[in-house]
Amino acid sequence: MALIKKKKQRSAEIPSSSMADIAFLLLIFFLVATVIDVDTGIGITLPEFVEDVETVEVSKDRMAAVLINENGDVLLDGAIISIPQISKTLKPRIESKIELPANRKLIVSVKTDRKTNYNRYIMALDQVKLAYFEVRDEYALRRFGKKFINIPDEAQVEVRDKIPITISLAEPEKVK
Amino acid sequence: MQFEKRRANTKQEIPTASMPDIIFMLLLFFMVTTTMREVEVLVKYKLPEAKAVEKIENKRLVSYLWLGQDGRIQINDAIVDLGTIQEIMYNKRQAMPNVIVSMRVDKGSDMGQVTDIQQELRKAFCLRINYSTMVKI
Repeated sequence: MALIKKKKQRSAEIPSSSMADIAFLLLIFFLVATVIDVDTGIGITLPEFVEDVETVEVSKDRMAAVLINENGDVLLDGAIISIPQISKTLKPRIESKIELPANRKLIVSVKTDRKTNYNRYIMALDQVKLAYFEVRDEYALRRFGKKFINIPDEAQVEVRDKIPITISLAEPEKVK
Repeated sequence: MQFEKRRANTKQEIPTASMPDIIFMLLLFFMVTTTMREVEVLVKYKLPEAKAVEKIENKRLVSYLWLGQDGRIQINDAIVDLGTIQEIMYNKRQAMPNVIVSMRVDKGSDMGQVTDIQQELRKAFCLRINYSTMVKI
């Protein structure tokens, strides 16, 4: 009786059924390790440092002085105001100066005391920025029919020229 | 007479053959978007919230500065002294002329300290700054 050798059928494939599991494991690792960085904030440009400061007189109607004192009270041009009202009060003043030349646009001066809380300062600064952004958006809507972020670059430059954000950071008074 | 139950001939399984591909695609997406934290933050801080925020477009230009709850200042990997900020930032500005300093200041800080830092930054000619905030919804 002849014995026929049985040929074993070996599969030559890499088992791929666990591929999904491996991929899942990697996926979960990256999901856990991901840190979505917050890179949002309020941008501002500081003035250059000069030793002896020359003071330039600025007419009263160009200036909006925001003072945040150490108790957290906000004064706009000497009158006490609540923080959410700042943008509403500033908006008409910015709007009235859209068509004026660059040297007559509104300057917002933000001043604090040394003991002022940072959070209050950011809240006030946020309101000032908000006023500017809303004016820009409304102007862009009227001129181009779109919001400021959606209009082309050249148009953005034009709107920026018309409504520049000028925030002056005054040095705080020393509290002795 | 027996009735035969009518059965649909179609398979009732969800095809799983393309599952690894889908997962790999997700995986690749996360791998590309992930930024591993490069520096260890040594101070405790809580950011304030604001509505009118902008995104920093160019992440490469950003240099971070922390001011923690306890008033310590951190730049890069180390806690620094107020007096040394000017030198460090000046060197940074030499390497990157239009650096943006992102200030991650704890919301309980006093403005006095923030102003001191700003004065140092002005002396180092790092004039573009950004107060890092969370987005208020």
